[in-house]
Amino acid sequence: MINKLISLCFAVVLLQGCTKLDENIYDKYTSEDFYNSKEGSDVALAAVYAQIPGNWDGVGYAGADRGWYDLNSMSTDEQVIPHRNTGDWELDFARLYLRQWLPTDGFINNTWNWLYKSVFNANLAVAQLETANADPSKIAEAKVLRAFFYYLLIDDFGDVPFFTDNNVTVDKIPQEKRAVIFDFIVKEINENVELLSSAKGGVYYGRFNKWAGYALLAKLYLNAEVYTGTPRWQECLDACNKVSEGGFSLHSGAADNSHPLGYKYFELFGDVLPDDETILAIYTRVDVVGRNIFTVRSLGGSDASALFGYSGWNGSVVPKDFLDKFNDNDIRKRQFRYGASPFGPRPAGFTIYSVELNNIDNPGANPNDGARSQKFFPAAPANSGGASNDFPIYRYADILLMKAECHVRMNNAGAGKPFVDEVRQRAGLQALSAAPTLEDIYNERGFELAWEGHRRQDMIRFGTFLLPRGLVKAAQSYRLLFPIPTAALNANPLLTQNPEYN
Amino acid sequence: MISACFILSYVLSFAQTSSMGGKITDETNQPLAGTVVSLQGNTSQKTATGSDGRYRFNSVPYGTYIVRISSIGYQEITRDILVQDGGQLIVDFKMEPIATGLEQVVVVGYGTQKRRDVTGAVATISSEDLNQGPITNPLQQISGKAAGVHVNQVGGEPGSAPNVRIRGISSLIGGNDPLVVIDGVQGNMDLLNQLPPSEIESVDILKDASATAIYGSRGAPGVIIVTTKTNRAGTTTLEYNAVSSVDAISRKLDMLDADQWWEQAQIYGVPASANHGSRTDWYDILTKNGTIQNHTLSLGGNERNFNYRASLNFISQDGVVLRSNFQNYIGRIQATQKAFDDKLSIAFNLNGSVRNTEGSPNGVYRPAFTANLITNAYLMRPTDPVLNTDGSYYTDGNVFQYINPYALSQTVVNEGSNNNLFGTVKADLELTKGLIAGIFGSWRRVDNNWGYYLPAASTMPSAIDNQGIANINNNRQDEKLLNLSLNYKSVFDNHSLDVLGLYEWQSQLYYGNFAQAKGFINDITRYHALQLGDLTRVQPGDFSSYKNDRALVSFLARVNYGYMDRYLLTASFRRDGSTVFGDNHKWGNFPSVSLAWRIDQEPFMQGQNIFNDLKLRAGYGVTGNQQGLYPQNALQLVGYAGQTYFGGEQITNYAISQNGNKDLRWETKYQLNIGLDFAVLDSRLRGTIDAYTATTKNLLFNYTVPQPPYPFGNIVANVGSMLNKGLEASLSYKLIDNSNTTLTLAANGASLRNRVLKLSGQIDGVPLNTDFVGWGTNSYLVEGKPIGSFYMLENLGKDENNKETVIDRDGNGIIDQGARSPDRYYAGGALPTYTYGFTPSFRYKNFDAAMVWRGSGGNKIYNTLRQNLSFFENIGKSNLLENAVPLGLYTTEYGSDLWLEPGDFLRFENLTLGYRFDVERIRCISSLRVSLTGNNLAVLTSYSGIDPELNVGGGNGFGSDGGMYPRLRSIAVGLHINLK
Repeated sequence: MINKLISLCFAVVLLQGCTKLDENIYDKYTSEDFYNSKEGSDVALAAVYAQIPGNWDGVGYAGADRGWYDLNSMSTDEQVIPHRNTGDWELDFARLYLRQWLPTDGFINNTWNWLYKSVFNANLAVAQLETANADPSKIAEAKVLRAFFYYLLIDDFGDVPFFTDNNVTVDKIPQEKRAVIFDFIVKEINENVELLSSAKGGVYYGRFNKWAGYALLAKLYLNAEVYTGTPRWQECLDACNKVSEGGFSLHSGAADNSHPLGYKYFELFGDVLPDDETILAIYTRVDVVGRNIFTVRSLGGSDASALFGYSGWNGSVVPKDFLDKFNDNDIRKRQFRYGASPFGPRPAGFTIYSVELNNIDNPGANPNDGARSQKFFPAAPANSGGASNDFPIYRYADILLMKAECHVRMNNAGAGKPFVDEVRQRAGLQALSAAPTLEDIYNERGFELAWEGHRRQDMIRFGTFLLPRGLVKAAQSYRLLFPIPTAALNANPLLTQNPEYN
Repeated sequence: MISACFILSYVLSFAQTSSMGGKITDETNQPLAGTVVSLQGNTSQKTATGSDGRYRFNSVPYGTYIVRISSIGYQEITRDILVQDGGQLIVDFKMEPIATGLEQVVVVGYGTQKRRDVTGAVATISSEDLNQGPITNPLQQISGKAAGVHVNQVGGEPGSAPNVRIRGISSLIGGNDPLVVIDGVQGNMDLLNQLPPSEIESVDILKDASATAIYGSRGAPGVIIVTTKTNRAGTTTLEYNAVSSVDAISRKLDMLDADQWWEQAQIYGVPASANHGSRTDWYDILTKNGTIQNHTLSLGGNERNFNYRASLNFISQDGVVLRSNFQNYIGRIQATQKAFDDKLSIAFNLNGSVRNTEGSPNGVYRPAFTANLITNAYLMRPTDPVLNTDGSYYTDGNVFQYINPYALSQTVVNEGSNNNLFGTVKADLELTKGLIAGIFGSWRRVDNNWGYYLPAASTMPSAIDNQGIANINNNRQDEKLLNLSLNYKSVFDNHSLDVLGLYEWQSQLYYGNFAQAKGFINDITRYHALQLGDLTRVQPGDFSSYKNDRALVSFLARVNYGYMDRYLLTASFRRDGSTVFGDNHKWGNFPSVSLAWRIDQEPFMQGQNIFNDLKLRAGYGVTGNQQGLYPQNALQLVGYAGQTYFGGEQITNYAISQNGNKDLRWETKYQLNIGLDFAVLDSRLRGTIDAYTATTKNLLFNYTVPQPPYPFGNIVANVGSMLNKGLEASLSYKLIDNSNTTLTLAANGASLRNRVLKLSGQIDGVPLNTDFVGWGTNSYLVEGKPIGSFYMLENLGKDENNKETVIDRDGNGIIDQGARSPDRYYAGGALPTYTYGFTPSFRYKNFDAAMVWRGSGGNKIYNTLRQNLSFFENIGKSNLLENAVPLGLYTTEYGSDLWLEPGDFLRFENLTLGYRFDVERIRCISSLRVSLTGNNLAVLTSYSGIDPELNVGGGNGFGSDGGMYPRLRSIAVGLHINLK
């Protein structure tokens, strides 16, 4: 009797439920379910944009540290974070300025990983939106975003792995020639740019509308000679003119006592960037969507405390040779703080920074050496981890200077003069006395676009990137490209390192 | 044979029958209660000793009798005795424990066997061999005691448990922690936190696959089976154990003092503004002497068919770093009732514990350096003051992200409570003779609640920004297990048979939540009133919750067969299914077989006098690993990824949270073990030798994959295989063994060779080259080498700017830092290749002494902390090691072999001296012992860091020293009282 009971119990257990081994998912969505839903395809596009604000761990285009922005800015003449003789700041920042970066340096790996994760997200968005038969403008937007990331990849690394479908294995994505990817990007933008919305601001703030698409196309053509060996100045000019159809104008440069730096010009780097000039912005709200550390990172600890009530990092400074080029009447010079009576607020206990910087690596600079930047004068909410200033990726002043450059490059310098003058006069300077030279354009780009992430590309195009600067020697030509990061080579032995890095 | 002495004496009398009585004592001359004494002859009689160890037969007729004395845990005594008429016969017996004997009961998983019948590699440590002293975790009691069982303690943080590896690391993903089974309840290592250390009767460690296969997937890394004390039949107990220790820091690093720092700082151009003129020993002010208390009260009884035991345990440790301590409260009660003429047995077990921890903060971040709080003290300039003149905590606004560790230690609130409750029920019913049906269920709930408050006064930049950060972290686990079994035992002619069939289901559910608030007007409410925080500071990540689970279903069968007590066979088969694998790979089959041959029982051995025991064992088994894998790794999932801005507003961002792998399957280990047990020299010398090889295939690991095309740089996959092989020996020699004195020399040693056999495999159908995957700091997984192989750049010296230079081995002018770089060379491995222990014990009359020496070696340590404290680029903001001065390095671009040091050590781990008082004349006390223990009395090593015992168990920080909580040196006194 008992035997029977027991065996019955066993039988019941064995037959029922005891072999159910499906995995329960309580707190996430499976990717198939999620991306095949309408809600999922909508947010796939938003998730690509989520890649752009800068944040910790070196992700994003600009706003935080150790990522794309630092790599493309600290390697130029416009900024450096010197090692301090008080022990602050690791030497990898100085290595960027010295153009002695190593393939193991975090900036390079972070940038690579960020860009390829962005490409993956963009591929995913394109696939999901196409599957969901989404609005063609959205599909076009995802494709242009992908083109943007590939443009950044070939700009920094040259020949890179190329794929547009995520269902691919690594052996199918060899390194593609820079010029081939260039052709893809140009074709992709040309095919999609007219599908993009022409609306500005509002729901398109921080997104690729038609005008941002043409600005990106113009950038490709502007640097075509660097990427392919063949200049495309006329195409660049045409694309810039397309941007102008969007009805942009330079934002006012008038004096304005309500701004801490005294001029409306600095609203271009504030909380919400003005629609008149801004073509593509990064929306930022510290600790929520990205962050903007550029001023707090630059100012000294107690100086920032005196100014804003939270501590500064005593990090990035403006090299003297770059600062010295500014005219004293240029309102744009007010973006820097130095000397006993600096621009902007002077609270009790503010720090006097010297313009001189005697050493950047061994034994390092004195604590208060080097002029500082307050261009992105912190917008609330802000703390020692950054502020909420939005960041301009493309703005109309850049387009005007690109137009001028195209004219000069095509031996029509006179036609370029009004564009340069427009930018100069907004900044409180006189018009040029003669038709602009390439050097005029180069310098003006430095004044107007300082610390906005364009400098490396400009210096390479104008042939100044490798020259000696300030305290440091000339660099060898292989430094025009960054190395493929060591970690990427470790993970994928099929990759070939850029020349002379190993 | 171990002799049992007995004393006969007669008092003549004139009655027809005699009375017979006496006292039975244990090896330490303590009365042994509950011992069964039986007489067989003209009449058969049976009695048991009382708590005074005395027995008595009132009426024994004249004749010759066989007396049998038996007591659990002791060797049975059989004697022929002549009882004469009318006498009063007094016969005293002294019993010897069977700790090392063949009759010792060995717990083999879902059952027990006698030592002589065991066919696998099983080490047993009984209560008298456990280490004594200030024990806070039961694992400390077996350290150094068993060959191939490496108990590794990193630092001395209160509440931190040692790490255990049985026969090394056989999995890369994790799941190398042995399965813990306490009285049938299966769990992870944290289950041991619920066990009063002094309540352990014995610890059995299943080492080879033929022994562990019965536990299937969870048994692959070995099994630690703990059996707790129960009362002997007819006895009651009231026991009190106490240990109290004083702990000091065993070793500190030699840092520059204030004068030395300033002298060096000036050489490296540090401005005078960085010298604040104080003389502060930061390490000293953040540390003190610690204490450990351990008190246990146990009571129990075993009368007729009811058996119970209950205990209360309190462990308290006040750490050597300020504000680090823990208290553990454990209460447990077990009761067993028999019914139906002892055919039905039902056992209940209820166990609750509360564990309160106050922790010194971990993960204190400053630029380019993250470590625990006490390690941050090394970085402090000795010229910085602790306090400002107004009594507030000093900070230096000119140093980026300056932290005052004393301020942090005084102001941070970092405390948690871990509440455990588990209950089990086990019912066994004997259906017919030899056939037992059983059901076993256990349910364990763990609530872990952690509260944290970081006030602005802590000097942490994030706390200053936010005017205080408070958070509460609740994590819960629910673990359930049910098994149903049928067990048949039979002995007929020369055959013995033991068959087990079992179905088992277990599930583990994990869920929890996190909430955080910032911006408090004062620090009064700490983390107890999050609603008082500033709502405008709420950010993504300030609140979250999660839930996931896993289940495992198993069927198993096992046969133990013995023929003529000479030829023994154990065969088992287990089929496991786990939820964590891909759809088509959920089930795995795990067979095992082992054989033993008791050579000394053969007729041809009867004439020899060399071997008192000789047994040859061989076993082969397959086990699986799924426990190292977290739930949901097989799937590509979409989860929360912060906020993004899109369509003119901030919206929730969703993102793929990992690379999914639908092909995830069981990792399997194939292990072959050959062993020999022997006893010679009249059983004074006993030994066990085992040799094994274990090959792990389908190695699970978080492999590096190329980005592109993967969105993440890692994927969990089955790729490659790995070999572990080793030799283990334990020897025990009774040098002196007489009634007053015993001196036993015991030693064990194990060698371990690990080799990665293959690392290439396929993912998504594409060959994936995973050779030279980083595993630890500068160490790699490389085919043909042990896991954690250091491939290093070789230090050459320094250049004219005092920058470190390394050898350009391929001479191409470029130092390639890639994993496969020709500039690297093989500089050793992170895994110890041998471990050993020496555990002599001595007893003279009431005095006893025991020692534990243990060591390991053959490994290298990457001294990350020394590297961090050696470069003069940091001296402006940080203190450096004294030995950095002769090196004179300003900076480096490499992690070179300059920081690689030998990891060999020998530790004098434990010395215990005990004295047992004669309490015969004291009415209420049946035994009383006091002891004195010294712990970690000496370490012989050439390693320059704080302690050479580091993480060699895999995972974070493997093979390197990033700074640890100080290691303790303790002196403890102990008291053990048994009341009657």
